[in-house]
Amino acid sequence: MTALELRHVSKTYGEGAAEVHALRDVSLTVEPGALVAIMGPSGSGKSTMLTIAGSLEDASSGDVIVAGQALAALSRNERARLRRRSIGFVFQNFNLLAGLTAAENVALPLELDGIPARLARKAAIKALDELGLGDRAARFPDELSGGERQRVAIARAVVGERRLLLADEPSGALDSVNAEGVMRLVRATCQGGVAGVVVTHDAQLASWADRVVFLRDGRISDQTAPLPGPESLLTQGHSQ
Amino acid sequence: MSTAVQDRPASAGSPSGGAPARRAVVRWAWRLFRREWRQQLTVIGLLTLAVAAAVVAIAFAADGPSSPSAQFGSANDLLTISGSASQQAADVAVARARFGRIEVIEHATSPIPGSINTVDVRAQQPAGLYSSPMLRLDAGHYPAAGQVAVTSSVAAIYRLRIGSVWHEGGRALRVVGIVENPGDLQDQFALVAPGQLGRADHLAVLFNATDRQVRSASLPAGAELQTRQPYAVGFPPAAVLVFDTIALLFIGLIAVAGFTVLAQRRLRALGMLQAVGATDRHVRLVLIANGAVVGIIAAVTGAVAALVGWAAFVPRLETIVEHRIATFSLPWWEVAAAVVMTVVTAVAAAWWPARAAAHVPVVAALSGRPATPKQGRRPAALGGALLAIGLAGIALSHRGKTPPLIIGGLVFTAAGVLLLGPIAIGGLAVVGRRAPLAIRLALRDLARYRARSGAALAAISLVSGIVAAIAISAAAAAQNETPAGEAGWTNLPANQLMVYLSPGGSFALPGILPQLSASRLHRLEGVVAEFGHTLHSQDVIPLAAAESANPPVFQINQVSGLPTTTLAGEVTGTDGRKGLMPVAQLYVATPTLLRFYGIAPTAIGAGTDIITSRSGLSGTKILDFGVSKLKCKSTSCAAHSGSDSGGRAPNRRDLATPVIQKLGLAKYASAPNTLLTSHAMTALALHPVLAGWLIQTPKALTAAQITRADHWAAANGVTVETTSHSAQVGLQSVSDWGIAIGALAVLAVLAMTVGLIRSETAGDLRVLSATGASGGTRRLLTGATAAALALLGAVLGTAAAYVGIIAWNRGLHSLTAVPVAKLAMLIVGLPLLALAAAWLLAGREPPAIAQQPLE
Repeated sequence: MTALELRHVSKTYGEGAAEVHALRDVSLTVEPGALVAIMGPSGSGKSTMLTIAGSLEDASSGDVIVAGQALAALSRNERARLRRRSIGFVFQNFNLLAGLTAAENVALPLELDGIPARLARKAAIKALDELGLGDRAARFPDELSGGERQRVAIARAVVGERRLLLADEPSGALDSVNAEGVMRLVRATCQGGVAGVVVTHDAQLASWADRVVFLRDGRISDQTAPLPGPESLLTQGHSQ
Repeated sequence: MSTAVQDRPASAGSPSGGAPARRAVVRWAWRLFRREWRQQLTVIGLLTLAVAAAVVAIAFAADGPSSPSAQFGSANDLLTISGSASQQAADVAVARARFGRIEVIEHATSPIPGSINTVDVRAQQPAGLYSSPMLRLDAGHYPAAGQVAVTSSVAAIYRLRIGSVWHEGGRALRVVGIVENPGDLQDQFALVAPGQLGRADHLAVLFNATDRQVRSASLPAGAELQTRQPYAVGFPPAAVLVFDTIALLFIGLIAVAGFTVLAQRRLRALGMLQAVGATDRHVRLVLIANGAVVGIIAAVTGAVAALVGWAAFVPRLETIVEHRIATFSLPWWEVAAAVVMTVVTAVAAAWWPARAAAHVPVVAALSGRPATPKQGRRPAALGGALLAIGLAGIALSHRGKTPPLIIGGLVFTAAGVLLLGPIAIGGLAVVGRRAPLAIRLALRDLARYRARSGAALAAISLVSGIVAAIAISAAAAAQNETPAGEAGWTNLPANQLMVYLSPGGSFALPGILPQLSASRLHRLEGVVAEFGHTLHSQDVIPLAAAESANPPVFQINQVSGLPTTTLAGEVTGTDGRKGLMPVAQLYVATPTLLRFYGIAPTAIGAGTDIITSRSGLSGTKILDFGVSKLKCKSTSCAAHSGSDSGGRAPNRRDLATPVIQKLGLAKYASAPNTLLTSHAMTALALHPVLAGWLIQTPKALTAAQITRADHWAAANGVTVETTSHSAQVGLQSVSDWGIAIGALAVLAVLAMTVGLIRSETAGDLRVLSATGASGGTRRLLTGATAAALALLGAVLGTAAAYVGIIAWNRGLHSLTAVPVAKLAMLIVGLPLLALAAAWLLAGREPPAIAQQPLE
């Protein structure tokens, strides 16, 4: 079962003279364990594709299937449940809830899904531990550095049994060292069986992906295997 | 990496996450409140104020009005018996036989030297069967034979203290105590032991009788039976109902406006919550939980503040309402209901912005973009319909006698204004199309975000409406005050004092002027002027009455003197004979008096005999008492016509059909309100004689000044009259305080709302700054927003107040007196004040604008 499938998806904003075609007949399939990077210039429809794939907004036409479920057939509540259980989001601006600690932020999707606070916290602490933030669990977001916040956001996106990780410029607000660290975590998550889609401007970061999809004017203009990633530099005998 | 939850509960499959999800959401809402409570201080403050006002209204309604206990004690019925001593004894025996256990209180009257008032001397058991609630000992002890206890006011009048001797009615009584009637602190009396009164003028018989006994009772001749009313007279329960409904509406509107601000500030966080899987219900719960927290804090704080304030205010209130108040003897269930209703209203008010926030698309919420306002005509039609239904409810409530109709009427009216307000905002934006940039932009922003500013506008309109209603009602009440002899009017304004040469004052008609020498009159003029000076008066106006050339000497109430000209109406006596009854003292329209009232002599018609502010004087006649036959009883006299004159006394020079002209004279019973013109003086060959003085003081007379005036009058052989209570001062004071508090409430609502609107358009401000707009432009932008909202609110509120009052009264008489100055303050002054305040305070962007509950 594919983790994400877009079939001839189009998205139009506005009407009449103000009509804008954000996506035109886009089709994409992401298998479990695969990491896909979406690249393209500003206004090419990258973020729109991500929000449609994550059920945050509806496609004007076409089908979106996440973990075997067609989004068009789901109610608002069912989509919310899908986001709680199967889809994890990572945003450029972290988007952690200021009133909650790191552990509570991570536990939030679980608690919203009806998991008792004690169990949800246990899972959240485990997720933070795996991202090296176990000692930051009780800190509030404004007490964390940018890199730590994004790692908390990733922990929130992968906690539970998520099947699809959607990241919109996850390293956009970070320095290069933290950006590399974040992509390494995303890569590691995908290697655990989660399908990942990352929107980025940075070709260097895109090189972490299994596949790179280029969008221009709402259309997929190209799909390529990635350039040899930074990890390839570590492979003995590799040469450019 | 695996972070799967071990032992996932079966209940976790609930679509909305069940109790754990709700707990998580409520926890976050609580944490946010703790972080951002300062941003909600204005809302909490306004709600607290409204709750406190509602609780104080409940307390005042319970304890403010005079209790029937002042008159009835613990009895249900009161029989007043007068007549001779033997007749009184016989009537008491009948009452005892008919009603069983009775208590008798004897009353006699003692004159106060120099005053038209008297003191009641009463013989009453301190621990009477029914009368114990009517008596309290403040100092000393209750009197025995040859002793007396007096109230503090009587002690002041007669300069008495415990241990001194009071010479009353030819006997000496030693003062042994200071007493009061807890139910009526104005009750001036002296208490003697039962059986020590001597001859009683009348008896008060207290008892409890069944309705049947009361209905079947045949009362002794001259006896009057009163039955205790179920609730205090003069304070309709509808008043507190209306007030509390308005308070709850205000709470609701403020909460809607405040929570809309909150929802906008939390939009990105709410979007994030949805992105991680929260349902619409969860998003609503965040804001509803916040509403509940705010409501609980405001309700508890407001109630506690009100009760503390009430306890502190009770001593002052006791002097205003003139009876003792048991501070915490309150209808606690009503207080609890007000607290609960506040929380419920706050939660209900949070629901609407919560619903709107839940409907914002997730992507738009994440980017902090509010939903595009929807345009439609349906709210206008709905608003009009609700307004019409509301006004119909108010009209059909029969001045509040049908509680559901008055509550429904007020709620529907407010809802109608809420829906119509945004349309008015749109209209203002159209009008301001050609205004300067900052004003144009401010009005356009108001129109763009009219759905958000609508609740605030409705709250402003509600407060403005209350202020306008108070001002309009006060003006109408003043306008509709009726002259002497008719109900609902006081004798004098609180800042006026009448000095009479006549011992009977204004209550004895015709006025009998003692025959004083010219030197005595001259000396009195100096004494009065000096006394006026001690009262800081700038106006000591001599009053002249009119006399015939050779009037006969009259004797009324042991006072002999010359009768002055009065106005009389025709009456038919109990014996069927027709006669004339004096209805108004006539004073002469001297140039000084006309100038005092601001009347130009040219305003008086050439043929006018009488100018007056009173109505209903047609058919009256001027009596000069040249040769009239008077039959006097007590303080009034009737001029009986001779049988040969067909209703007129022979030789009496009266003017059968005087020409009467209404002018703006005094509208108080005892003040000069009916004046003889020079035309009448000439026609009737009358001449003016000094009858007294009117002294007007800058402020209302205090109790101490009134007592001093009594002493002064007694010492100088004149009589003074002052107003008997401070009702007019109270009305004026309530009106002024209402306007002041209303203006503050409007400014607070404006501060909150303008903050919202300007935060939503903070980007525009930055663009303006970037394109070179000065700080003045930014200030004007904020000021114009505040002023426009204040102007619209004031206009809508005033219009709604007028329409509501007309519906309430089912008539247009509220339009007869327009409080122009106060309404101008509201409609012009308030927007200017809002403009100035916003101009001064809008120097920098509030920190809250930039803060979002997201990191």
